[in-house]
Amino acid sequence: MEETDAQLVLAVRGGDRAAADRLLQRYLRACRAVALAVTGSEDDADDVCQDGFITAIARIGECRDPARFGGWLLQIVRNRARNQLRARAVRETRAIREEANGNTADPAAAAERTELRLRLNAALQALSAQQREVVLLHDLEGWTHREIAERLELPAGTVRSHLHYARRKLRDLLGRADGDA
Amino acid sequence: MSEAPPVDLSPLDPARDPDRWASIVEQTRTRIDAVFLERERQTDVLTIVAGWARPVLAAAAAVLLLLAATFAARSGTPAPHASGARSLAALSAGYADGHVPTGAELAAALGGRRTRR
Repeated sequence: MEETDAQLVLAVRGGDRAAADRLLQRYLRACRAVALAVTGSEDDADDVCQDGFITAIARIGECRDPARFGGWLLQIVRNRARNQLRARAVRETRAIREEANGNTADPAAAAERTELRLRLNAALQALSAQQREVVLLHDLEGWTHREIAERLELPAGTVRSHLHYARRKLRDLLGRADGDA
Repeated sequence: MSEAPPVDLSPLDPARDPDRWASIVEQTRTRIDAVFLERERQTDVLTIVAGWARPVLAAAAAVLLLLAATFAARSGTPAPHASGARSLAALSAGYADGHVPTGAELAAALGGRRTRR
């Protein structure tokens, strides 16, 4: 049977390195999704998800309710992402630039992927930060409505409405961009 | 309210570049190891400090009482905390036998109250 967050948190506090690894497997992608929702930059999200997770492990003794580790961790990531956003000057995404520069076997396909990612990122920016988190956690990370509601501390109805609105808006924006092209 | 159909967000999936994502996960693991090592190191230091604290306090109390007794003998007044001196003697004997005094015993020796053993 899979350990609960609370069990894993207590094990980490007791010095169990393997428990920290299970939390990493459980949450690192979600950390990245939340960081991406805040920063809008995949490079920043990659950095912030690591930093946020490490901070949480280093300060795990401060997690007052181990059963709510997920929400606590994502709040740390969110705060770090906001700091990163403030500290960031206008900066292009390194990976996108590298891909766009043709550092790949199939430059045409890479350019198309880059274009798609840019459009998706641009469309996501039209949503609120919370809507971005909900749609990324649900449609990219596969979290259920209940998991999102618990870990973002939102009512289930709000999660559903955020998801509905976000999908509709994204579809609208991406469809309009297709029409413009 | 019927739910709007999902949008394909897979271009934003970190696993689209598995090597890069594996490297991020590995880097995070390495940093977690560092956190655990640092925590173990701090725990070791605390254990050492805790191990030394009570014997050092006992020695400090002995010096204080000795000074107080010397001062009293010179000035001709009775030594303060005579019972504390007795407690201290008991503590010293116990410490010689390998018994590390508790905080309560030290407080009693300093304050002259009888200890509960």
